[in-house]
Amino acid sequence: MDQAVVAQDIKRSDLLKMYSYLRLTRSVEDRITALYRQGRIVGGVYTSHGMEAIAVGYASALNPDDVIAPFHRDMGAFLIRGFSPGEVIAQYLGKQTGPTRGKDGNVHMGDLKRGVIGFVSHLADNMPVAAGAALAFKIRGEARVAFAGTGDGGTSRGDFHEAMNFAAVRKLPVVFFCTNNQYAYSTPVRYQMAITDVVERAKAYGMPGEIVDGNDVAAVYLASRRAISKARAGEGPTFLEFKTMRMHGHSEHDAATYVPRELLEEWKIKDPILRAERLLMHLGYGDESYFHEVGERAKKEVEAGTEFAEQSPLPEGRETLVGVFATEDEVQP
Amino acid sequence: MTTATAVQETETTYVDAISQALDEEMSRDERVFLMGEDIGAYGGAFKVTQGFLKKYGEWRVLDTPISESGFVGAAIGAAMMGLRPVVEMQFADFISCAFDQITEVAAKNHYRWGAAVPLVIRAPFGGGVHGGPFHSECPEGWFFHSPGLKIVAPSTPYDAKGLLKAAIRDPNPVLYFEHKFLYRRIKAVLPQEEYIVPIGKAEVKRPGKDISLITYGAMVHLALEAAEVLHQEGIDLEVVDLRTLIPLDKDTIYASVRKTSKAIVLHEDNKTGGIGAEISALLTEDCFDCLDGPILRIAPPDTPVPFSTPLEEFFLPKVSDIIAGARKLAAY
Amino acid sequence: MATDIVMPQLGESIAEGTLVKWLIQPGGAVEKDQPLLEVETEKVALDVPSPAAGFLAEVMVQEGATVPVGTLLARLDTKPAQPTDGIVSRVGGVGIRAKQASPQGEPHYSPAVRQLAREHGVDLAVITGTGEGGRVTKKDLLDHVSARQAPPPEPPRTGEAPTTSPEPHETQDEIVPFTSMRKTIADRMIVSRRTSAHVTTFFEADFGGIDTFRSGRTLTYLPFVISAVTRAMQDLPLLNSSWQDRGLAIKKYIHIGIAVALEEGLLVPVIRHAGQKGLTQLAHEVADLAERARSKRLTPNEVLDGTFTITNHGGFGSLFSTPIIHQPQAAILGVGSVQKRAVVIADAIAIRPMCYLSLSFDHRIIDGATADRFMAKVKQHLQQSDWEKLL
Repeated sequence: MDQAVVAQDIKRSDLLKMYSYLRLTRSVEDRITALYRQGRIVGGVYTSHGMEAIAVGYASALNPDDVIAPFHRDMGAFLIRGFSPGEVIAQYLGKQTGPTRGKDGNVHMGDLKRGVIGFVSHLADNMPVAAGAALAFKIRGEARVAFAGTGDGGTSRGDFHEAMNFAAVRKLPVVFFCTNNQYAYSTPVRYQMAITDVVERAKAYGMPGEIVDGNDVAAVYLASRRAISKARAGEGPTFLEFKTMRMHGHSEHDAATYVPRELLEEWKIKDPILRAERLLMHLGYGDESYFHEVGERAKKEVEAGTEFAEQSPLPEGRETLVGVFATEDEVQP
Repeated sequence: MTTATAVQETETTYVDAISQALDEEMSRDERVFLMGEDIGAYGGAFKVTQGFLKKYGEWRVLDTPISESGFVGAAIGAAMMGLRPVVEMQFADFISCAFDQITEVAAKNHYRWGAAVPLVIRAPFGGGVHGGPFHSECPEGWFFHSPGLKIVAPSTPYDAKGLLKAAIRDPNPVLYFEHKFLYRRIKAVLPQEEYIVPIGKAEVKRPGKDISLITYGAMVHLALEAAEVLHQEGIDLEVVDLRTLIPLDKDTIYASVRKTSKAIVLHEDNKTGGIGAEISALLTEDCFDCLDGPILRIAPPDTPVPFSTPLEEFFLPKVSDIIAGARKLAAY
Repeated sequence: MATDIVMPQLGESIAEGTLVKWLIQPGGAVEKDQPLLEVETEKVALDVPSPAAGFLAEVMVQEGATVPVGTLLARLDTKPAQPTDGIVSRVGGVGIRAKQASPQGEPHYSPAVRQLAREHGVDLAVITGTGEGGRVTKKDLLDHVSARQAPPPEPPRTGEAPTTSPEPHETQDEIVPFTSMRKTIADRMIVSRRTSAHVTTFFEADFGGIDTFRSGRTLTYLPFVISAVTRAMQDLPLLNSSWQDRGLAIKKYIHIGIAVALEEGLLVPVIRHAGQKGLTQLAHEVADLAERARSKRLTPNEVLDGTFTITNHGGFGSLFSTPIIHQPQAAILGVGSVQKRAVVIADAIAIRPMCYLSLSFDHRIIDGATADRFMAKVKQHLQQSDWEKLL
């Protein structure tokens, strides 16, 4: 990203905050990975390692009353929306204090009070749902926006296309994104679609699209902010393709031997945290000692969260029976 | 004219009862809005929403693309934001396109992360209208197995109106199966005053002492007809109209079977793994000591709903099937 | 056109055969040469293929019957049977058939018939069944029971015969058969009354302290009463005992039974080692046991081994009662409704939440003074405990 543009268009404090969330995201996920390897987390662990800039960038561009339906590698978005590291780790450990109180695991967290729609494993399922949230905003004449996405593989599903079409037809205040990290589990993009750029798909729905460098938090932030403003102004949906690379396996049990090592080497130097640090140094916003200090703070927060989560109680077996149906007071006003 | 002539009591059809419920709820609560294919200018494939577009405008009577999964998903999103969407499936058969959104998203959201989804999906179902395999299905059995959904299936104009109003006011996803064979064949005088029929309550549509016939939807009318005939023969059928399939009103079912000691379950959905199978299993588990005969299921064979008239007639349960079944069970 | 199905001659020497099973249900369609029935003779068992295509219109011989060779077994018709007079394939396929009573085998009775026979002490063998294949139906059994209960015919009068015979006495009452739970309760109540020398003593306790402690907490009164009772028992263990033939059994453990009213009767689930449990734990167990008692999910051992029972009869406003002891226990405590009443405290009239406690005890074991000392302790604990420490 052009430093002059960044200096002019992004407030220094916003940029520094994004940097701290990049560090916090990585710390949280490193801890979760470690807990997984120690056998303390059961189930799947899907990280955003090397892709942190996407969630941090777009979530920083939204207003607090906007709604997001994150992709399953968007840990940064949860943190920015106020999910504490303790809550997140409790969720992974299946504890009573996690956002789903043990009913669901890992990144399947949601909370309408914090404007986060809970992830559904069936990829792209939440894209029509986000379109519907935007429809509610439009019907009620509210200046709110929904922001939802999936991966490159998820764009093959019908729900992706039905959501894109419906949102475009009704000019809904929604922004859709695709985290194109080049592999859907083990399947490369070339076996997923006959086009190189996912953004091509937007054209078919009469929707503007943009390719964004997904490893540049400033670029993600600015592109998201533009799309969000358009949506808020009633100009309809935009599709953003965040280009990036999945640096770990699909989940932590997957060694990803199907990914050529050179490709990973090539992307390693584009690490979003290193890039953010270079940018901050060039702009004179931060130096090595500052970065170290932010990193230490993040680690401390994560360690406190880990302790909280580990000391939290597990749910009782009979909790299984609670919550199949909602009561009237749980309906959103 | 403003004379004090008594208002003549007019009869309301089943389909008009549904329209009335929608109209009343939309007037009462501005959060209620409709989505579906061809429901706006055209007024819906069965004209349930005729005139609604003019009255409520295009953002409350929303024509959608042919995109069941997409618009059910959108309705879920709108419901989570606090609106009260009522989605029309043009035919219940097409609900399969939205199966994933209904069972994975709508049904599980509250259980997983506490998000209420106050959503109604209206689904015109059932045969007897020469619709063939894609316009006659009874798909309620698929959803009967999916925790987190409520399912209702009214048999009369009174229940159709009252249950739809209750469904719209419910904070959960409710599948509302309306029987299209009944749309214009069944009429009744409805109360002038506002009422709802609570979800989860079955109704004994005809009391009897010999055999409990448990059913719902259009089959209720066949059951009542058969009960008349059997009455002449001294077999006294009690017709239990489930009205709600989830949550099932076990109390009413059990009370009836404890009285009669014999039960027939009748439905239009395919026989295997259907609602009849579940009720039969429940009765064996919970009322075994009161049974004085096997529990009988009367339901179509395990085939798609065929098109040609003699085939469809063969497929659908008939009054004569009920009579034959009841006679056998009475003689047992 | 009809085709007759007859018992085939399966071997020169064979004169009769047994129809084991119809392979096509009555009314069902059959193809030519499709197996139609299973036949067994002394020599062989085999399927008989249908001689023609058609519908199994009339069945003359039922499964299990042994008939001479050449007997007409059934008739095939080329047209399906009329829906209401034949059997339609839909229900025909269900195949409801009463299992025939074979000379060696036991006759088959439905669950309802077995249950009712148990309840009424009826020997089913004496009833002639009117159901399919002579099955004894529920109605047969109930008819038998009411006939048995009818008064014996009056002896013939020697005096003048009345000019018109009186109408037979016909009762209009609806007879609801007893459930097994009802019968069990009835037996136990009568036995208890006959066994123990019941005496009931009444006390009144001030629940003001408990109310103050409860405010802001979701605790019912019952855990407090259980706590007070178990502590009073430490001073008066006689209340936690059982009359046995070899002597008085003083119980080592305090297992408190809680009477739970159900629609159809009453269950008494047991809180084990109640004396070792705090209020929170007691409250939790009371709620859990009551809930599971109502939804019939108690396990059998959860209603066993009680050593003392508490019945909370105040729910509908009852003040005191004379509860019946749950055998083989020595006493039972009734807890009445807690009501605000004007009471005299230090010569002043105060309004206090009061509760009557009714203790029925077995006078064979416990004398009045012991029972009253126990109740005085219970009262003292209810009024003066530091509940915070008992959580």
